[in-house]
Amino acid sequence: MKSGLKSEVFEKFVKIAGGIINPSIENWRNNGGRVVGYTCSFVPEELFVAAGLTPFRIRGTGSDQSAGMADDYFEAANICSFVRHCFNKILLGEYNFLDGAVIGGGCDANRHIMDNWQKSPAKTPFLHRLLFPHSSGELMANYFCNQLADIKGKLEEHFDVQITDRKLWDAIKFCNEIRDLQKELYAFRKAENPPITGAETVPVIVAGYSMPKEEYSSDLKTLLDELRGVSAPDSKYRARLMIVGPGHDDSSMCDIVEDLGGLVVADLTCFGGKVIFGAIKENGTDPLQAIADYQILDRPFCPKNLGAHPHIHKEIFDKIHDFKVDGVIGQNFLCCETWGGELYILNKELKEAGIPMLRVEREYAADSTGQLTTRVQAFIETISGGAL
Amino acid sequence: MINVYSQLQMLAGKALGGLCLDPQNASPGPFVLGNGDFFIEIPVAYGCSYSDITLTGANGTAMPDASELIDKAIETGVESRMCTAIKVACYYLEAGLVRKPDLIITSNSCCDAMDTLGNLLNGYKPWADVPKFIMDAPHSFDEESYKYMGKQLRQAVTFMEDVFGRKMDWDRLREVCVLSNKQDQLLLEFQELKKAVPCPANPDLSRLGFAYDRWTGERVSPQITDWLEQLVCATEERVKAKLGIEGVNEKVRFLWQDLAGSWPPGTLWARLQQELGAIAIMDYMSYCTLTPIDLTSEETMFTSFGKRFLLEDPMNRQALHTTDFFCNDILQIVKDFKCDAVIMPAHIGHRDTNSRLKIVRDMCREKDIPCLVLGIDIWDKRYMPPDVVFDRISTFFQTTGLV
Ligand code: SF4
Ligand code: SF4
Repeated sequence: MKSGLKSEVFEKFVKIAGGIINPSIENWRNNGGRVVGYTCSFVPEELFVAAGLTPFRIRGTGSDQSAGMADDYFEAANICSFVRHCFNKILLGEYNFLDGAVIGGGCDANRHIMDNWQKSPAKTPFLHRLLFPHSSGELMANYFCNQLADIKGKLEEHFDVQITDRKLWDAIKFCNEIRDLQKELYAFRKAENPPITGAETVPVIVAGYSMPKEEYSSDLKTLLDELRGVSAPDSKYRARLMIVGPGHDDSSMCDIVEDLGGLVVADLTCFGGKVIFGAIKENGTDPLQAIADYQILDRPFCPKNLGAHPHIHKEIFDKIHDFKVDGVIGQNFLCCETWGGELYILNKELKEAGIPMLRVEREYAADSTGQLTTRVQAFIETISGGAL
Repeated sequence: MINVYSQLQMLAGKALGGLCLDPQNASPGPFVLGNGDFFIEIPVAYGCSYSDITLTGANGTAMPDASELIDKAIETGVESRMCTAIKVACYYLEAGLVRKPDLIITSNSCCDAMDTLGNLLNGYKPWADVPKFIMDAPHSFDEESYKYMGKQLRQAVTFMEDVFGRKMDWDRLREVCVLSNKQDQLLLEFQELKKAVPCPANPDLSRLGFAYDRWTGERVSPQITDWLEQLVCATEERVKAKLGIEGVNEKVRFLWQDLAGSWPPGTLWARLQQELGAIAIMDYMSYCTLTPIDLTSEETMFTSFGKRFLLEDPMNRQALHTTDFFCNDILQIVKDFKCDAVIMPAHIGHRDTNSRLKIVRDMCREKDIPCLVLGIDIWDKRYMPPDVVFDRISTFFQTTGLV
């Protein structure tokens, strides 16, 4: 199902999200701009923005089924395919445009991207790891604040920039504004007949981590204006669904759902709803502490974190209510233990609440969609009360 | 023939055999449950039982009905390729087979699977009323990190005191630490003796001693000190007499770079010793890097605990830190224990090890250390049966000219 959205700026987002290097990044670099890659949404973009750098979230977009070279580094049978495909792109040289990268200390597989990158032929000048605490609390937020200070110092030294408190507060404000715009985009989907589908939302969000921020912010404003003017046609979808799980940097799952007559109206995923949550406090004495508090105390949605479940639960149930969700698709990549465990708990809770859930374990790239399609179809039919 | 080693083995084996679903060091006090090894000195001094549900799951995989149990665990529906020990622990929990604790203490050490189990414990509905304390084990090892971890362990004690309405007896804690320091020293002494060629005693006694010391009902008791003293004494004699393991003609010494799991010691390792003269001189549960708990002040004591937690607990040492650190350990062990080869079991549940295989292989090639990567499930013999593993190791030793 398509919304019929016709928009130049939307097409631009689709192109950017559909690949890695893109004209906006090339243009930025040609004008002397520098780009720093990062993995995991716990690495705060605000730090890079304050340093005048463009942050670029590492993805494996465009991979086919094999992660080829990366499988030498990460054992294919036991390591999540998202990590393998991302690393394969690094080995293939598709991230050679980066001036540096910060690897988040997320799950066991993700944090080893750092070690393997260092030893690989891909020579990226600035490579650092940012350790995260894996539970939530004041002590942990302070720990994270120290880690941020450490990375800040390294960025200043390597890129010969000064990241002052003023610049950090400005970056916080600016990134909050972008999150607000993204939330506006999500809010359209609360409507009975949204002007934008789930599959169409994904590239708009992903582009935000893949191009210069100012340009993105301005393009997104244009798109939102366009959407405000659209009178959405009466769409005949059969169920309003929500996607929960890691990744979600492409629209493949939404495409399956929406081709079968469902509509994805919300998500809590590592590239989507988890990232655009809330806002960082814009005042206080220490901007790094404000960032740390947001990541560790306000936004503890990573199932790698102990004690994260009640937060995840609340966020999902709130969204089910706000977006009038009929059913949830919980998808995790094979070998992702943390999301696997989280979805296991969630499944039980949704069952108790009478909300249907489909559990899917899949590979990141070019999954054999046959079986998946059949399962999604059966799920939609169950929810909507029969075949079309 | 019953010699001192078989006697020691029997004693520890009996205590370890008693580890099951009941609190693993039962005492009349309250029962604390966690998803990893907590500080044994703390529950012992406080007079409470402590169980590590991961260990419970791991023990399940060694039961006679392990296959059935593992199949049931797979059916629970947690992530399909998760560590089998954790899957079994999840099954025990979900099937209502674990005794309800009075307090739950969880931490994210040492792997993603343990986190998952921790979250399952914290979110387990029937125990919603049980007080819970959560700790964060950072992936770093420096003084700051030890202090950070130490602070959390100190907070855990306060939490226990609040929940149970009884204060920690600090003198008793010191007393327990003194005893525990002495036992660790003895474990280190035995480890030193293992460096001799030929290896004087079954190296697996290190692992047994460590498990006996930390996990059984005898935790930090004079009985353990006695066991370890006998072990060291008997081994010193054998080193002086230049004797190797009884009945074994030592030809190859190798590092088993992982946990032993529930099956190699009794089956695979014994066969390798007997048939090939190949000795697993070191494994990752035996590797003892313990430094004494600094008893100068309460703060130094907890910082020492923090260090132990992050750096000296075998699983945390293996899983929490960088690949460089992991590789340095391999080189150090190979050098110190005169290993001829490295075997990487690469347990399928170990996402960390499975993300490092190329670096380890390349390093070994560069240093001329024969290295074999297996890819087994250290908890489920069906994944790659011991016979197959034996054949692969045997072929590896033959092709590298070691036997
Ligand atoms: S999908 Fe899971 S295993 Fe993969 S990077 Fe994300 S958290 Fe880690
Ligand atoms: S055996 Fe490995 S994967 Fe399993 S619980 Fe222990 S450290 Fe985690």
